[in-house]
Amino acid sequence: MKQFERFVYKILSHKSLKFLVIVAILASLGASVMMIPTKIVWVKMLPGKSANTFSVYVDLPTGSSIEQTKMVSQCVVDILKREKEVTDIEQFLGMGAPLDYAGLVKGSAFKNSENVAEIVVNLTDKHEREERSYNMVHRLRPIIKERCEPLVDQTVIKLIEQPAGPPTLASIVAEIYTPNETTLRRFAQRVADVFRRTPGLVDIDIMQDEIYKKFELRPNIDKIQKSGLAVEQVQKILYLAFEGMDIGVKNEENYPSQIPIFLRLSDETRRLEGKSLEEVRRKLAAFELMNQKGMMVPLTEVVDIVEVDSEPSIMHKNLRRYVNVIAETDLVSQVYPLLEARETIMKEFAKDYEIETTDYLFNLRFTDKKSGEVIDLKWDGEMKVTLDTFRDLGLAFIAALILIYLLIVVYYKSYSLSNIVMAGSFLSIIGVIVGHWVADLVTRDTFFLTATSLIGFIALMGISSRNSILLIDFAKALMIEKGIEKRRAIAIATATRARPIMLTAIAIILGSALLASDPIFGGLGVALIGGTVAAVIVSLLFIPVLMDNAKAMDFTKKREG
Amino acid sequence: MAEVKCSYKPKDIAGKLALIFLHNPLTPLLAIFILAVGYLALEIMPREEDPQIAISGGSVIVPMPGATPKEIENVIVKPLEEKIREISGVEYIYGMAMRNVGIVNVQYYIGQNREISNLKLYDKVMQNMNLLPKHAMHPLVKPFDIDIDIPILTYAFYKRDPNLSDAKLYKIVKEIQYQVNRVKNVSKTQLKGAHKRQFNILVDLNKLTAYHLSMGQIMKAVQSVALEVPDIKNKTKDNKLVVFGVPNAIESVEDVENIMVANYMGSPIYVKDIATVEDGIDIQNFKEAKIWARELEGDLPQYTLEISKLKGTNAVFVANDVQALMAQLKPMLQKEGIGFVLTRDYGKRANDAVNELVRHLLITIAIIAIMLVFFLGWKEAIIVTFTVPAILAITLFIAYITGQTINRITLFAFLLSLGLLVDAAIIVIENIHRHLHEHDALYKDMDTILVEATDEIGAPTNVATVAIILTMVPMAFVGGMMGEFMKPIPLNVPVALIASLLIAYIFTPYLAKKMLKKPKMHHHKHHFQKHEKLPEGCEIDGGKS
Repeated sequence: MKQFERFVYKILSHKSLKFLVIVAILASLGASVMMIPTKIVWVKMLPGKSANTFSVYVDLPTGSSIEQTKMVSQCVVDILKREKEVTDIEQFLGMGAPLDYAGLVKGSAFKNSENVAEIVVNLTDKHEREERSYNMVHRLRPIIKERCEPLVDQTVIKLIEQPAGPPTLASIVAEIYTPNETTLRRFAQRVADVFRRTPGLVDIDIMQDEIYKKFELRPNIDKIQKSGLAVEQVQKILYLAFEGMDIGVKNEENYPSQIPIFLRLSDETRRLEGKSLEEVRRKLAAFELMNQKGMMVPLTEVVDIVEVDSEPSIMHKNLRRYVNVIAETDLVSQVYPLLEARETIMKEFAKDYEIETTDYLFNLRFTDKKSGEVIDLKWDGEMKVTLDTFRDLGLAFIAALILIYLLIVVYYKSYSLSNIVMAGSFLSIIGVIVGHWVADLVTRDTFFLTATSLIGFIALMGISSRNSILLIDFAKALMIEKGIEKRRAIAIATATRARPIMLTAIAIILGSALLASDPIFGGLGVALIGGTVAAVIVSLLFIPVLMDNAKAMDFTKKREG
Repeated sequence: MAEVKCSYKPKDIAGKLALIFLHNPLTPLLAIFILAVGYLALEIMPREEDPQIAISGGSVIVPMPGATPKEIENVIVKPLEEKIREISGVEYIYGMAMRNVGIVNVQYYIGQNREISNLKLYDKVMQNMNLLPKHAMHPLVKPFDIDIDIPILTYAFYKRDPNLSDAKLYKIVKEIQYQVNRVKNVSKTQLKGAHKRQFNILVDLNKLTAYHLSMGQIMKAVQSVALEVPDIKNKTKDNKLVVFGVPNAIESVEDVENIMVANYMGSPIYVKDIATVEDGIDIQNFKEAKIWARELEGDLPQYTLEISKLKGTNAVFVANDVQALMAQLKPMLQKEGIGFVLTRDYGKRANDAVNELVRHLLITIAIIAIMLVFFLGWKEAIIVTFTVPAILAITLFIAYITGQTINRITLFAFLLSLGLLVDAAIIVIENIHRHLHEHDALYKDMDTILVEATDEIGAPTNVATVAIILTMVPMAFVGGMMGEFMKPIPLNVPVALIASLLIAYIFTPYLAKKMLKKPKMHHHKHHFQKHEKLPEGCEIDGGKS
């Protein structure tokens, strides 16, 4: 204790040593803050969460049959079966799997068509498993995609992990707004192309119906009437024959629901030989309808068969027509690929469009140089949530700073003492960032600076202000009550308070040690550990120097005078 | 020898609390009470994995058979969007115009009252029913309900016995569903991938053409037979009731096969002549679920039973109850040739998460205690260690009465505050420790030292703790999903910190009195010098020095 007291006193009595402390602290602040733009420390909202389950979404192009979906889905399952950590796999063909947090926002509940499937994969317990689920997904993704996507053209297979935080539609969502359908499709395609070329982005999908060929049977009203048929009858019977209908029910006492009686053509006679106009015509030629007079009229006589494009669904968001281009990130933060993709878009599209930045975030507005059409690109998804959260937490942080500042001003009735406390608190950021850098060095996966780190940092503000307050209070008491000279009082106070400061710091460090190993709260743990170490150094070296320099600390003189 | 008698007057709330409880016989009872309510809260509080996010919103679904997406966009989606725009508090409106149906999804700002929001949406749609186009069917308004929509348990049922019919499987699973519904706090149950029993009449197109028949004729023929008529009541002449029961003409597949469709060249044509009839499953339903598990051979078709819980109930209890029921049903299912796999268990996940935290808390407390033994001595370490469960107990209890649940983020809040909440106790005990070993300790009695030591650090500790609380307060105003997700942190950390102050001021001096002794000094008596200030409220007895 005495030694430390002498040490502090020595620093305080030498101008050059004081200067050295200030420069050293400020230099490390600058160096640590620079680690973020230089990407030595990476930023992400929430890290991946190792779970005991993940899902696979299989999306075939619109108009694909359930049999094709089944084939692709089975291909995925066959690959997953070989993983020894997989305990069971459930396939849900033509529908969404039982709803979970991810599915809630990804539209799982609305899936009801032949071209979709969801697969739920359950794994062995995460404590008994070597590989974390996100690493497993990362390893399997290229294998599954390479093997199963080519089975049906335009198929997109997505591997969905359980979100660590609030669920979002996708990591990166580019919303493209423009009223014209062809422009919308073309533009979305170009954006998706950029995403595909951006490293770190996977599972790219344009959330729109693919346009496929379909055949329209246009009733020839004139012919229908002349042959004694009704248009309604033609439509109804066609539907009955090829889609089938419940035409009656049978009640049964020993069965939990009514038993419908279903009528349709048999599969052998219903199916077409091929997907062409001739085949459709040949099949329909064999199909006859009975007119009022009881005569049979071949269907082909009364309808014209035309091949047309299917009409895709139309999507609106807040009353504007739009389409989503989505992408997931593979083990990397979503911030950097987004910035890279945006850069590429701005460079490549500059040829055809005037580009301007709009209201918020990294949103862009494109004006076609030839037609003058306006296209808006807005970012959404986890990326937006990340930026919103970081912005809000940043604001919360500033608010916290102001509140603490005011509190201390009220307590000490002095601005310069408050400034000392604030300076001490803010400097714990050095430890937070350096802590993440060290954590990244020692762990196998990338250790991101996340929202939880930020929460830890905000909490640290309070902790380190406590150190400073206790120091100032004690020095003040020594000066006023015992009349000890300022510099000596500061040295004694620092030496005496060093013990509880160290003790509480060790308590926080040990308390956070288990947190640091947690995949989600690791950021918080590392922030608390790193930040506390920095806070101790700052409050035992830097704060005494500031106190010595502050006129407001001159309590001894006041008493004498 | 000069005897210094002190009647220390505490200046700060810290010293006052210490003084009040130092001699109060109720203090140990209070401690037991706090620990007991905390333990109770830990046991009965609903446990879940993720916190409940109050997302309000819903979908309006308007079917209009035969309409193209463009038509739907113009006559359904656009007018509906305009009307929904009139509702206050709506953040996003998503319109989807598909073939045959228009869907408008509404999402309110996070934190809007769910019941009121649902009502507003329903009201708006109903008020504007007159704007619906002709041929559009009645709109369906479906509010989002996370609690009910997200199942906590899913079971996959499959056939162990390949000869088991789908109809039988459906019947048994349906019966299980009914029994599960009886379990306390189970809300919605649903079957996925189930195939219902159905009689299929599959017409051969070639034979149809050969006999010159139309599909319409078959339909009419079957419909004329498959009718249900209620019992006919008749009376005899002497007023007795006679009931004629008219059974459904169709009892079996054969009955359907033998329905006469038409006469062709004088001979009757039956359904069986032109079609195959089977007692099968709903072949028009393309949805299908399959399961593969390590112990099963190949991918088997399965029916998934989804089970949700009521809002605010404990996922762990509901899951346990349902699992107990399933264990009971297992022998019956085995006999029938049905196997099942538990494919989701959020109850276990929530429980594991909570138990893991409790384990982490205990380990951390132990580590801190060991650290304190080295720095302060084992008695002091015990005192500080006691404060941790007491603080957590208060926080848990307050969280419980304010209607929170134990989830990942609540635990996160506790873990975050863990390092902070021993601080107050450490500071108090450290100061007591220091005062006990000071020279003037000799002249004061134990109580005075305890109160004074507590009081001395009271003001700065209060301010510092308030400072930490202030850092948490703005976090409550973080908007959006993430803000809602993190809400347990600003809600619980301040409570834990205030509790840590109270506990430190009340129990640390009390326990110190019980366990610590003034160190025996080597009576190298130190005389009070004139210039040295006596502690406030003390006076020297006897006058002589």
